[in-house]
Amino acid sequence: MGQRRKVGAVKAPSSQRDSADASGAHSRKHSICMVSDFFYPNMGGVESHIYQLSQCLIEKGHKVVIATHSYGRRTGIRYLTNGLKVYYLPLQVMYNQSTATTCFHSLPLLRCVFVREQITVVHAHSSFSAMAHDSLFHAKTMGLNTVFTDHSLFGFADVSSVLTNKLLTISLCDTNHIVCVSYTSKENTVLRAALNPEIVSVIPNAVDPTDFTPDPSQRQDDRITIVVISRLVYRKGIDLLGGIIPELCLKHPDLHFLIGGEGPKRLVLEEVREKYQLHDRVRLLGALEHKDVRGVLVQGHIFLNTSLTEAFCMAIVEGASCGLQVVSTRVGGIPEVLPEDLITLCEPTVRSLCDGLEKVIAKQRSASVPPPGSVHTRVRSLYTWRNVAERTEKVYDRVAGEEVLPLAKRFRRLKSHCGPVAGTIFAFVAILDFLFLLLLQWLVPDRAMDVAVDATGPGGLWRQKTGKRSETESKRATKQAAETKTQTQ
Amino acid sequence: MEDEAFTDISGKPITLDCQSHSSFCREFTVSSPKVSIGKVMVYTCSVWLVAYSVFFFTQNTAVLSSAIIVTLVGMMLYIHFVKVDHESLLVIGSLGLQVSSTYASGREVTTFIEMDKIRDIVINEAIYMHQIIYYLCVLMKDQSEPNGVSGVVPLFQSSKPRLSCLVKVYKSCQEVVSRCQ
Repeated sequence: MGQRRKVGAVKAPSSQRDSADASGAHSRKHSICMVSDFFYPNMGGVESHIYQLSQCLIEKGHKVVIATHSYGRRTGIRYLTNGLKVYYLPLQVMYNQSTATTCFHSLPLLRCVFVREQITVVHAHSSFSAMAHDSLFHAKTMGLNTVFTDHSLFGFADVSSVLTNKLLTISLCDTNHIVCVSYTSKENTVLRAALNPEIVSVIPNAVDPTDFTPDPSQRQDDRITIVVISRLVYRKGIDLLGGIIPELCLKHPDLHFLIGGEGPKRLVLEEVREKYQLHDRVRLLGALEHKDVRGVLVQGHIFLNTSLTEAFCMAIVEGASCGLQVVSTRVGGIPEVLPEDLITLCEPTVRSLCDGLEKVIAKQRSASVPPPGSVHTRVRSLYTWRNVAERTEKVYDRVAGEEVLPLAKRFRRLKSHCGPVAGTIFAFVAILDFLFLLLLQWLVPDRAMDVAVDATGPGGLWRQKTGKRSETESKRATKQAAETKTQTQ
Repeated sequence: MEDEAFTDISGKPITLDCQSHSSFCREFTVSSPKVSIGKVMVYTCSVWLVAYSVFFFTQNTAVLSSAIIVTLVGMMLYIHFVKVDHESLLVIGSLGLQVSSTYASGREVTTFIEMDKIRDIVINEAIYMHQIIYYLCVLMKDQSEPNGVSGVVPLFQSSKPRLSCLVKVYKSCQEVVSRCQ
């Protein structure tokens, strides 16, 4: 009962806004809370995805806040560019920057965030993030619409993936909508979590085209440089790379390798380099910061990706955006990423990859490859964050009209989808969560909580010049006037 | 010179008293309700009941006398160090801020912050226990660096008023502070 009342209360203002704002069908503005364990200062694909997506949604007039766990001394509330508000909640980190999942301890703080920011859609990211699953669970208990984005592919065979898949089934069976980054990833997620494919959308990642522009003057024309940028781990097929390097270097004396990234498989490459005396031709650059990646990419002619599994390979898009010829393995979602004439696909074997590379090298020598500038212009229109935000917005529009399952229906769904044992256990956990929520609502009623001042969204108070100021400071408009006076003194 | 009713972050009623002594001197007093006799009764009774049940099994009278001492000392410590009845903020333009809190026992703690050490007064957000709250704070000027903030002094720490109350105090404070600078 408490749930339905909340849904009504939350939706009423947005529908009023709808009628007031008569600028087309997509005028409905959402209040979105992105939840993930992974956010800056941690670096990676999920982090930049959340950041870029949020920025584009803010640009479209939605209100976006991000909730993540605290990183070291970075606890509390921070503002990033354009008034993007980030809650660094003090939750205990267990393993690999992922919080402990007890299903309950995060409820008080997450509820506080959802209530004070008047959130309508909770968008959780990454299946590795325990906080994302927790937030989905709590959001459903609180009667909020939920969206989940999956960023990775999983196996089905080993024990850890069996367990993760079970958890994912439970977490996603009553989630309103799921977003995957490629069709392969969608297939994988649908199978793993036993979902209805109709509620799974595919929205690929994007690259910032202004970050990855070609610069042919950086290339050395007396040689052909192959660039590899990936973490040096088994998953990325570094063993294959170790096989390719000696074979090609023997055939082509003007071939150079530039390898960026760090990881346990670095040893393999160092061994190869030692054994074949290729120190001057194979350069290992070590860990690269994201801002340095472009500087490395523009030095090369060919980009090589040897991944063994990949949901959506950002690296090859970045490579192509810098105007490089891309050679990649045909695994996971990679074949869908680039049009056929921009990429050479090979089987994940040393033989096939060498053949593919030889072909591209021959093309490069005969100068029959398209100029970097034209490749860049094609790629920049393929994957833009604005496009991603537009498509995500449609998901939100669809989700906002859907009903959140009331408690009784949720039990039935859990039992029918997750098997009698796990279903019953988690139905019980859902009841406990609901009771805990009632307790919290009694201790600190919703009306005793201050509604947060909006920085973004329809009533956003964030102004451009506030960006200059310290991010920890509150950004109230009245205060600002006083502040500027202080500074002029 | 008026008393206004607000609530604190847990929903208990508090009152705000704004006094304008002159155009550049204002005083804000936040008063929390007094210790209720019911609360005292509940705590005393529970300590004594526990003590009596222990006494029932051990037949040791020291338990009872220690219970009496515990309640008395506990109550004294509570009203002397914990329970704050009034918190006041006196803003004097060009001179500084005086922050004082009066405990239930009558003890008063006062601190003064000079105006040239204050950079600004702002409303900030923080995570407090299992809640996220707004609070009013004074940003201290960093002597070495003109635009830096060396520290934060939170105001109304024990009464914790809600945003509506903070905004009122904040606007009023800013009027005084901006006029004198």
